[in-house]
Amino acid sequence: MEILDKLINVALIAATLRTTAPILLVALGGSFTTKAGIFNIGLEGQMLAGAFFAVIGSIWTGSAFAGVACGVAAALAFALAFAVLVVTFRANEVVVGLALNILAGGMTISLMKAIFGTRGSIVGHGIVGLPKVQIPGAQALLGSWAPLISGFTPIVYVAFIAVPLLVLFYNRTRLGLYIRVVGEKPEAAEALGISITRVRYIASLLCGLLAGLAGAHLSLGYITMFTENMSSGRGFMAVAILIFSNGDPLKVLAGCLLFGFADAFSLRLQTFGFPSYLVLTVPYVVALTALFVLSYQARPKIIKETLASMQKLLSTDRNSASVDKNPQ
Amino acid sequence: MMNDRLRAFSGQIIAIGVALLLGAIIILMVGESPVRVLMTLLRGAFGDQEKIAGTLLQTTPILICGVAACIGLRGGMFNVGIEGQLFLGGFAAAWVGFSFSLPPGIHTLAALALAIAAGAAWVAIPAYFRARYNTNEVVSTILSNYIAVLLTSYFTIFLFKRPGGWSETPPILATAYLPEIFSFSRLNWGLAIGLLLAVGVALVFRYTSWGYGVTMVGSAPKFAEYGGVNVKRQGFVVLLLSGAVGGLAGGVETLGVHHRFMEGFAPGFGFDGLIAALLANGSPVATIVTALFFGALRSGSLLLEVDTSASREIITVIQALIILSVSAQVLIKRRGDSQAGERRWKF
Repeated sequence: MEILDKLINVALIAATLRTTAPILLVALGGSFTTKAGIFNIGLEGQMLAGAFFAVIGSIWTGSAFAGVACGVAAALAFALAFAVLVVTFRANEVVVGLALNILAGGMTISLMKAIFGTRGSIVGHGIVGLPKVQIPGAQALLGSWAPLISGFTPIVYVAFIAVPLLVLFYNRTRLGLYIRVVGEKPEAAEALGISITRVRYIASLLCGLLAGLAGAHLSLGYITMFTENMSSGRGFMAVAILIFSNGDPLKVLAGCLLFGFADAFSLRLQTFGFPSYLVLTVPYVVALTALFVLSYQARPKIIKETLASMQKLLSTDRNSASVDKNPQ
Repeated sequence: MMNDRLRAFSGQIIAIGVALLLGAIIILMVGESPVRVLMTLLRGAFGDQEKIAGTLLQTTPILICGVAACIGLRGGMFNVGIEGQLFLGGFAAAWVGFSFSLPPGIHTLAALALAIAAGAAWVAIPAYFRARYNTNEVVSTILSNYIAVLLTSYFTIFLFKRPGGWSETPPILATAYLPEIFSFSRLNWGLAIGLLLAVGVALVFRYTSWGYGVTMVGSAPKFAEYGGVNVKRQGFVVLLLSGAVGGLAGGVETLGVHHRFMEGFAPGFGFDGLIAALLANGSPVATIVTALFFGALRSGSLLLEVDTSASREIITVIQALIILSVSAQVLIKRRGDSQAGERRWKF
């Protein structure tokens, strides 16, 4: 029990909220593109570019918020490139997304070497981190539970407030409706005179906005530094969440809390002497397991389809149907 | 027919030209002269016979990974997990190399066989879920890369660390080496394995009904299903084979070059291979050319780090730009197609 107390306590929950924020922001960003019918594997690169340019902006201007703006601008540039290639040139989403991720990785390392003459990471150089927001009265109201609502950076609050806002956005605004129509029934959108191209551009740029914030949180939030490939797969985990949540903000939140918890819990395990290499795999294993389990649960539809195709086969050819009954 | 090919080829060349132009702008942005970078790259890649051998040495893993990617792409699958399969294959080969003592030749073959098995095993779960439940293989294989890299690091550092060494396994026995071709370079017969594999896979795709079925599943799954191909089983087999070849790439790298497994072993070869295969439009033989191109870039970039102020990662920027401009031009050409068709990378 004592060990459990040490493992799970207020600090762990607060840490979960902190580690959830970046992945929640980037996944909410991806929800725009998912809803608009674009498979956006480029989230990782947008986030990484956001993290790097947030640090650059923070150093150049001496202001954390100007840094965040720089990070967001960089992520928007990547999102725009993605939209131009995928929407206008109709290039393959997977190829463009992967290439932009590779571009972001190579570009940030090259620029780091060009500007700072170092490899690996940028520390110091006058990076200004984001301030912590102390909510007045939290201590008096909640006592030892105060760290659950107070003392986070502004971006953490933005991430969690964005969830209900997105729910309203999809259900109550015209643009939200347009995005959903374009994703679910592009023919209907076209018939209604909605410009698919314009809606997809807007969705991509909104995605870049939130991915940039997520990146800025990584490099200016709780640690003020940039390291090579510091997004370390969070963008891909966000894509995994988007696949099984279908971009619904509340399901995205649930998925992200799971990963945030896995992240925070694995950091905690490390202090208990578990080998760090194994502990670090935990978030990825959780992501993969969730992806597999939830796609297994989506199987009724597939079984129905299989049954339908089997019936079709039965009516034409008995032999191939018997093969089809035992796939693998 | 010939005209089409010529147009496709010239389109590819134009796209590479555009990418190099953009690359030049980025090189100017990081404060280097593009001409100097280009000359350094060329000198680093082809300056003398050792440099040329070095280029071929870098080409080998890219080529084998590229063939792995081609197998997947032909069957309509993005195996983005080649990097992870490479790491596990590399570790498996090293393990056979340092744990057993077998006669020369047999030792090498046994190590390569386990590398192949490890690569296939690593992709088996994503492949099963892709085939059975249509789980997106791009995401599952990308995420499994991170696990593979951490897991092999764990094996290396916690279970099999060389006493007194630093994050590397003991060296493999000389009986397991892939022999070197020249005395002046670490270039080894792995290159021959890669070339044979590329040609062999191309022949299988061209002349066997199985290969034809795979290509059909990749380009027209409905048609293939109607024609009697078990699309699900074939998808599983295609990913498994792709993973097996990815594992082989790791085995070749261990037995031919490093003679041990270490942390940060062969970074990025899996992604380079995927890019090479995409640039080659999924053709294994054309991948020989694109892999050589990327091998030269990699080899040249080593000198780049020494002789100029640019970082060697500038070449990954150029590679990404090439793929982006190629992806755009492929589709300009096909503007007449339906939207669904246009949004797929065609092979």
